[in-house]
Amino acid sequence: MSAAPGPWVVQVQDLAKRYGASPVFESVNLQVGAGQFVAVVGDSGVGKSTLLNCMAGLDTWDAGQVQLCGHSLQTARDDERALLRRQYVGFVFQAFHVLPHLDVRQNVALPLMLLKRDDPRRVQAMLEAVGLQGLESRLPQQLSGGQLQRVAIARALVHRPSVLLADEPTGNLDPRTAGLVMQALIDQTRCEGSALVLVTHSEQAASRADRVLRLSANGLEPA
Amino acid sequence: MALRYLLRTVSWQELRHHPWRHAAALVAVMLGVALAFSVHLINASALGEFSQATRTASGQADLELRPSFSTLDENLYPLVAGSTAVEAASPVLEMTTQALVGDRTVALRLLGIDALRVGQVTPALVPRAHEGAPRLAWFAPATVFLNSSAAQQMGSATLQVQAGDRRIEVQVAGTVAAGGPPLAVMDLGAAQDLFGRLGEISRIDIRLAPGHDRESALRLWQTQAGWPDKILVAQAQETASRISQLSRAYRVNLTVLALVALFTGAFLVFSVLWLGVAKRAGQLALLGVLGLSASQRLRWVLCESLFLGAVGSAAGLALGTALAALGLELLGGDLGGGYFPGTQPSLQWSTLAALAYGALGVLAAAVGGWWPARAAAALPPAQTLKGLGLSTGGPGRLLPSLLLLLAGGLLALLPPVHGVALGAYLAVALLLIGGITALPGLVAWAHPLARRILGHWPLALLAVERAGRVRETAAISVSGVVAALSLAAALTIMVSSFRMSVNQWLDSVLPADLYLRSSQSLAAADTVYFEPALVAQLRAAPGVDRVEALRVTTLTLQTGRPAISLIARELKEPRRSLPLLDEPQTVPPGAVAVYVSEAMVDLYGARPGQRLKALEGVLGRGSEPAAGFLVAGIWRDYARQFGAIVIDEADYQRLTGDRRVNDLAIWLAAGADEKKVQAELRSRVRAHNGSQTVAGLEMASSTQIRAISMQVFDRSFAVTYWLQAVAIGIGLFGVAASFSAQVLARRKEFGLLAHLGLTRQQILGIVAGEGLAWTAAGALAGLLLGLAVAVVLVHVINPQSFRWTMDLYLPVLRLAALGGAVIVAGTLTAWLAGRSAASRQAVMAVKEDW
Repeated sequence: MSAAPGPWVVQVQDLAKRYGASPVFESVNLQVGAGQFVAVVGDSGVGKSTLLNCMAGLDTWDAGQVQLCGHSLQTARDDERALLRRQYVGFVFQAFHVLPHLDVRQNVALPLMLLKRDDPRRVQAMLEAVGLQGLESRLPQQLSGGQLQRVAIARALVHRPSVLLADEPTGNLDPRTAGLVMQALIDQTRCEGSALVLVTHSEQAASRADRVLRLSANGLEPA
Repeated sequence: MALRYLLRTVSWQELRHHPWRHAAALVAVMLGVALAFSVHLINASALGEFSQATRTASGQADLELRPSFSTLDENLYPLVAGSTAVEAASPVLEMTTQALVGDRTVALRLLGIDALRVGQVTPALVPRAHEGAPRLAWFAPATVFLNSSAAQQMGSATLQVQAGDRRIEVQVAGTVAAGGPPLAVMDLGAAQDLFGRLGEISRIDIRLAPGHDRESALRLWQTQAGWPDKILVAQAQETASRISQLSRAYRVNLTVLALVALFTGAFLVFSVLWLGVAKRAGQLALLGVLGLSASQRLRWVLCESLFLGAVGSAAGLALGTALAALGLELLGGDLGGGYFPGTQPSLQWSTLAALAYGALGVLAAAVGGWWPARAAAALPPAQTLKGLGLSTGGPGRLLPSLLLLLAGGLLALLPPVHGVALGAYLAVALLLIGGITALPGLVAWAHPLARRILGHWPLALLAVERAGRVRETAAISVSGVVAALSLAAALTIMVSSFRMSVNQWLDSVLPADLYLRSSQSLAAADTVYFEPALVAQLRAAPGVDRVEALRVTTLTLQTGRPAISLIARELKEPRRSLPLLDEPQTVPPGAVAVYVSEAMVDLYGARPGQRLKALEGVLGRGSEPAAGFLVAGIWRDYARQFGAIVIDEADYQRLTGDRRVNDLAIWLAAGADEKKVQAELRSRVRAHNGSQTVAGLEMASSTQIRAISMQVFDRSFAVTYWLQAVAIGIGLFGVAASFSAQVLARRKEFGLLAHLGLTRQQILGIVAGEGLAWTAAGALAGLLLGLAVAVVLVHVINPQSFRWTMDLYLPVLRLAALGGAVIVAGTLTAWLAGRSAASRQAVMAVKEDW
C-alpha cells in the first residue's frame, strides 16, 4: 500500500468504466478535500453508484486512477482495499442496510470493533446524536425505516471516517427524517472534517453541497 | 389454478436449473422405496413359495402329530387311524440327509411313506413310477422317488445318500409332485430298514372326520390307553407361521435399514426445498404482495415435495421390483440370513404392497417438504423484500424435546410385540427427533454465555449473535449431520460391541485345535452322524491328545415355535467350557443340570436355579430324573437364535440311549503337525465308510473357524459401513445445501460487511467459522445421541430381535475419527459454500437497491 499524502482525501483521475463493450462513463475527474461536500447528480443508470463503488475500491474500472486518503486503489490488493475502507470510509445506502442479527448498539459499534477501538461512550454519543437513545437493544426488525437509516448513519460516522460515501440516503425517507439525516451528514463534514460524496436525485439535498456535479457518459461536469 | 401455473412455470424452471440437486433427492427417495419394497417382495415370494411347498406336502391334512423330541413309536399309528375322529391318516418317517452329487453333497429331505395311505391325505407325495420301472417299485427297498427340484440336481438312475457315517446307494424309480427344496420319497418300511430306524415314525398326517376339530380329536385320543404324554398336535397352517417367525426379526431389521434410507431421502427433499425456498424468498415475498396467500405458498412448496416423492417412489417401485427379481435369481429366495435354503421362488408382485410402499415414499417426501413449506408460508412479504425476512428464533423451548427423549427412554423399556422390537424402534426414532429438535433450545440456553465470552471479537460476535437469533435455521442446517452421525455412531458402537462379544464368545466355544462336523445341516443331525466305532478310531489317531464328542439334535417344545437345539457334551467344568453369564448353580441330588442359552429365558421362561418343566416328559421318557431338569446356568449363544440347551453327554445317553455323535473337538498332542493329523483323520473316515471321498464332512482348525466366522460377521455387517458412508454423505449434502441457502439469503449481509471493510478472507472465515462451530456442535450432539441409540440397539433391539445379549464396547478412537472427519468435512463444505459469499457479485448485492 503506497501512502502519498496530498491535499485531496479522494482523487479520481480520468476514470473509465465499461460493462463489456458498452461504456458507462469515461474521463471522470474528481477531487474532494477534507470537510468538503460534493453532490453527484445524474440520470438513472448513468453510473453514479458504480462511481461510488470505484471510489471505495469495491468495483473495478478500465482506465484511470483512484486515490483514497493518499493511497492508490489501483495497485492495492483486495485485502488492502478492505483495510482502507475499514479505516477511512463510512457508507450510507438508500436501503438502510444493517446487520439483521445484531441489535442497534451492536450495529453501531461494529466499525469500532473491527478497528479494535472499542469505545462505548462514542457509540452512545452517536446513538444520542441520531435520536436513538432508548432503542439500543432493539433488533432491526423492530425498527421503522427512518430509525434504520439513523442506525446506518450512526454506524457510518462512529469511527470518524475521512470519507463519507452516501448513495441516495434520503430516498426512502419522509421529509422530516430526510432533513435530520442530511443534517447529521453535513455536521460530520463541517465539524469532523470528513469529505462527503453524496449521490442524490434530491435537489434540496444537493442544494446544501459545496459543489454539485452532474455525471454523464463523458464524465463529471458542474451542474 | 394459480398453483398449477406456478408449478408449471417457476417450479419447472427451478428443476431445470438445478437438475442434479433435485436428482439427488429423487434418488434418495427412490433408493429408500426400492430397498424396502425389494425386501418385502423377496421375503413375500420366499414365504409364499415355502407355504405353497408346505401346503402341497401336507395336502389335505388338517393336523399333524409330532413328538417333541426324536421320533414316535409306529404303534401309535393304529391308535390314531382307528379313532372315530380321523377320516384318514398317513404315517411318515422324515429325515434330512446328504446326497452326493459329483464331489459335493446336497441336502436332501427324505420321507418314508405308506404308499397305500399317503394318497388320501397328501396326494402330492404319491410316488409316480417311471415307465418301465418294476411293478412294485413303490415298495422296493432302497428305491426313491424325487420331486422336480431333486431330480433337477441329482437326476440320475442311482443316488448315493448318507446314513450315519456311511454312504448307501438308492435307485431312482420315479417322481412325486411335491414342490419346494430337494425331496425324496420312499416306502416307510424300506426307509426304516435302510436308516436303522425300525419301529420309528416322525409324524402322522391326519384328515379329521367331519364334525371334529383339533380339541375334540385330542380329547378323544387322550382317553386311549398308551397315548404318549408329550405329543405335539399342530395344524397345517402353523408350519407356515413357524417359518415366518424364523425370519421375522431379520426381515424387520432389513426393513428398518430401508426405512433409514427413506428417512435420509426425506432429509434430502427437505434440504433441496429449503434451499429452493431460500433462493426464491424474494419471489415468494413478491407473490405474497401480489396476493398469493400463506396457505397457497405452503401448498405450492408441498406440491413440489409431493412431486419429488411421487417420481422417486415410482422409480423406487420399479427398481425394487428389479432388485427383488435379481435377488431371487442370485440368492434363491434367501435374503442372506439362511432361512430359506434350497428354494428358487418366483417373484410374487403385489399391487397393494406397491401402493403402500409408494405411499410411504410420498409421505417421506411430504414430511421433508413440510418445514420448507411452512417457512415459505411464514415469510413476511414486506420484511423479506427489504432483506429482513428472517425468523428471529422462537423461545427455543426445550421441554417438548426433553419429553420426546423421555418418551423414547420409556418406549425402550417395552417388551417386544410378536417378536418385533417395536417399542425400541420407536424409541430410536423419538431419541433422534428429540435430540435434533433440542438443538435450538440448547443454543438458546448457551447463547448468553457464548456472547459473554466471545462478544469482544467482532467476527465471533457476528457468528454468536447469528447463532442465537436464527438458531432454528442453524439447527436445521446441522440436523443432517446430527442424524447422520448419530446413526453412524450407533451402528459403529453396535457392530464393535457385537464383534467384540462374538470374539470373546469364539474364545470360549472353540477351545480345541481341530473340529470335525458330520454335516453342515442341523436338520441332518439324526441321519448323518459319527458312530461310536469311528469316534474310537479317530480318538486313537496318532497326534491326537484328546477328543470331546458333541451330539446335536433338535427339540420342539411348543407347536408354532421353531425347534430348539439340544447339545449333549462332556461338562466337567461348565464354567470353562461354556460362555456362562453367571456362576453355575449347584445341582441338587436327583436333578439333571441343563445349561440354557439366553433365548430360552425369553421364549420358555427358563430361570437359573429353577426346573425346566418344558423338558419333563420329553427327554428320557420313562427314566426322567426324580428332581427334574434344573437350569444350572445361562450361556451366550450367537449361533442359535431360537434357543439351545446343553446337557452333560452322560446324562443324555442315560436318558435317551442315543450314542450318536455329530461334532468332534480334537486337541492335538504336543508337537503334532496339524496338517498330518488332518490327513490321518480323513483317511480313517474314508477307511471307515468305504468311500473314496469325505464330501459332506467338515474339518477345520479353530483358527480357520474363527477367521471364517469373523469374515462372515464382517460380510454381514459390510452393509452397515456403506449405510454409514451414505448417511454421512447425505448429512454433508444437507449441510452444503443449508449453508448454500444461508449464503444466498445473506448475500446483502456479506456485501455490507465488505463495505464496512471486512476482507474476503474474513468473510470466508465467518462462514467457515460458523460451519465449524455448528458442525462441531452437531457432531457432539450426534455422538451423544448415537451413544443413546447404541444403548437401545445393544441392550434392547438385539436381545428382543435375536434373543442374545452383548457387552457395550465404545470404540473411542473410531468414534473420535468419525466425529473429526465430519467436523472437517462440514467446515470444508461451509467454506466452499461461503466462497460465493465473498465473491464480487455478493459484494455488489447491496447495490441491488441502489
